[in-house]
Amino acid sequence: MTALIEAHDVTRSFEVSAGMFRRKRKLHAVNGIDLTLEKGEVLGIVGESGCGKSTLARILLGLLPPTSGTIRFDGRDLRTLKRRDLARQVQPVFQDPYSSLNPRRTIASIVAFPLDVHGIGSSADRRREALKIMDLVGLPARFADRHPRELSGGQRQRVAIARALIMKPEIIVCDEPTSALDVSVQSQILNLLLELRNEFGLTYVFISHNLGVVEHIATRVAVMYLGRVVELAETSAMFANPRHPYTRALLSSILTPVPGLGIPETGLGLAFPDPLNPPSGCVFHPRCPSAFDACKCVEPQLAGNGQVRAACHLESFNTGPEGTSAYES
Amino acid sequence: MADTLLEVEGLSVDIKTGNGTLHTVRNISFSVKRGETLCLVGESGCGKSMTSLAIMDLLPKGAKRSARQLVFAGEDLTSKKADQFNVLRGNRMAMIFQEPMTALNPAYTIGDQLMEGYRRHKSAGIAEARDRAVFLLNKVGIAAADERFGQYPHQLSGGLRQRVMIAMALMCGPELLIADEPTTALDVTIQAQILRLLAELREELGIAIILITHDLGVVARIADQVAVMYAGEIVEQGRATDIFSDPRHPYTRGLIDCIPLPGKTTPGRKLGVIPGVVPSLIGEITGCTFRDRCAHAEAQCREPPPPRQVPHHSWRCILEDA
Repeated sequence: MTALIEAHDVTRSFEVSAGMFRRKRKLHAVNGIDLTLEKGEVLGIVGESGCGKSTLARILLGLLPPTSGTIRFDGRDLRTLKRRDLARQVQPVFQDPYSSLNPRRTIASIVAFPLDVHGIGSSADRRREALKIMDLVGLPARFADRHPRELSGGQRQRVAIARALIMKPEIIVCDEPTSALDVSVQSQILNLLLELRNEFGLTYVFISHNLGVVEHIATRVAVMYLGRVVELAETSAMFANPRHPYTRALLSSILTPVPGLGIPETGLGLAFPDPLNPPSGCVFHPRCPSAFDACKCVEPQLAGNGQVRAACHLESFNTGPEGTSAYES
Repeated sequence: MADTLLEVEGLSVDIKTGNGTLHTVRNISFSVKRGETLCLVGESGCGKSMTSLAIMDLLPKGAKRSARQLVFAGEDLTSKKADQFNVLRGNRMAMIFQEPMTALNPAYTIGDQLMEGYRRHKSAGIAEARDRAVFLLNKVGIAAADERFGQYPHQLSGGLRQRVMIAMALMCGPELLIADEPTTALDVTIQAQILRLLAELREELGIAIILITHDLGVVARIADQVAVMYAGEIVEQGRATDIFSDPRHPYTRGLIDCIPLPGKTTPGRKLGVIPGVVPSLIGEITGCTFRDRCAHAEAQCREPPPPRQVPHHSWRCILEDA
C-alpha cells in the first residue's frame, strides 16, 4: 500500500473574538495531527461536535490551509499544489444535500459542473458524461433537467456523490454524508459508497458521529477529541478492544436496537471542556473515569503498534514489547 | 400503573395546501398509561411530530385536527377551547423539543424562563418559583444550579440546554411529557445521559412519556410501548420487546434491517434497503400506503389492509408474518 496523504503535525487555529475591546483568543480546532491515508482504505473519523473533524476534512480537501504542519499528497507538498490539481484528486460529499446543491441549476449541470471548472470536453461531452455518472449512482436520466427541489434527500445525496465522481478522483472526503438522511435512505447511500469503492478502488475519508455506520464502512478509524487524535486503529481491533477511555465511552454509548439492555452509563460526567481554554495535560482528563495525577500535567502522545495506537498514559505503560512508550522518544 | 392517562382514537390531521388536502396523520389510535413510555417511531414526514402537536393543540395554522376521542386524564380534549388548553399546556402536559437552542429564548436568563410558566400556572411568588427551579436544575444533574440560574442559553452547552428544557417541562409537575426527538441534536455520549435522565424521572415521578424519534436504538432502550408510523398511519404497535423480537409489518422489519450494527451486520456487506420513496399524502389515499415499496405486495394491498392482532401486539397487513 502507498500513502496517498501524509499529514504531519497539522494544526489549524482560528482567532476568536471575545468582545470589542478584548484580545482575540486562539482556538486550536485541529491540534498536531499525524495521519496517513493509504490507497484503497476507508478512514473513518469519529468524535463529538466541536472535536475538529470537519476542520480536518476541509484541510484535506485543500479548502483551508493548515496554520502549521505539512501535508503531502502523493509525495508532493500540498502548498506547492494548485487548488485545481488537488480538486482533480480529492472531492467532497457534504452532510446536507439541501444546502450543498445550487437550487437554480439542473441536476445534469450540477453533476457536470466540475468538468466546466476544469474546462474538460465540449458541453455535449459534459452532459453525456454527467448522464453516465448519474446512471452509475442510480439516478435515472429523466432527472437530468430537473432541479434539486424536486428530489428527495437521498436522491440529492446521490447527485452530490455523482458530482464528486465525475472528476474520477482518487479520494472522496465524505463529511457526515448520511446524517441528514432517514435510516432507510442511509443504508442505500452506504451500499452505494461501498459498491463504488469496490468498482473504482476509491479511497474514502469518512467523517461521522454514528459509530455503527463507521464500523460498517471504515477499514481504519481515528477517534478525535478536542482537536487531537486520541486513538487510531484498524476498525475491527478498535471495536473489539478499544484502548482509549474516550473510545470506550463512545463505543458503550452506541444504542443497538435490542430491548432490555437499558441505557448505558458512559461515566463521562457533564464537564465538557472549553476549546478556547483546553484542560492541561491530557485534554480528556476532566471527564476521564480512570484519570490519575500524571494526566493533569503531561500530555500523552499517540503510542502503540502498527494496528492500534492510543494517546493515553495508561496505554503507554501497558503496551507490549512491540509498542513504543511515549517517553522513550 | 395500569390506569390510562391519554386515550387517542381516530386522530387525523389535515393540512390544506394549494394542490389539495395533505393528510399528514390519518386515523391513528393509541393510549398511554401513567408511568409508561410510548415511542412513536418513523421516518421524516410520517406524521409523528404532527401527532404530538395535535395532542398539545399546538398545530400550525391551516392544520385541522379531528378525532373520535382524545381524552387526557378523564377530560375530553376535543371540546376544549384555546384558553382552556392554556391551563393544561405547560402545566399538566409539557413538551421538550428537538433543538434546545431554538426552543430557549436567547434574551432571557434560563432562570426567568424556568419560572415563567410556574408563576403563571401556580400563581406562585418569585421566591417559591426560584426554589423550585433550582431544585429541578439540581435534579436534572446540573452542577452549580444557583449560578446557572442567572446565565443565558448561549453560556450553556447543548447537553446542558436540553437538561434545562427538561427541568422547564417538569416545573409544574406534569402528568404527561412529550419529547420530540430530544436527543437527535446531541452527541452520542450526551444522548445516553439525557435518556437515562428521562428514564429515571419517569420511574421517580410516575409521569407518562411520549417519545418521538427516528432512532430505533433509542426506542429499544427506553420504550415500554412502540408505535411504528408510516405515511401518517400507525402500521404496527405493541410492547417494545415484541416489536423488536418479532416484527410483523414489512416496514418495521425493513427499518430494522437497514441499520448497521457492530457485532451483528458484517462490515462492508450490503445493508438491507427499503426501495422507493414515501407516497404523496395529498388527496384521497386507499389501501396499504407501503405497497409500492413492499416485497410482499399483492393485488389485494389496494384494499385497506386488515388489522391483525396477537396479545400486546397489533399491525395492519395482509400477511400474518412478513
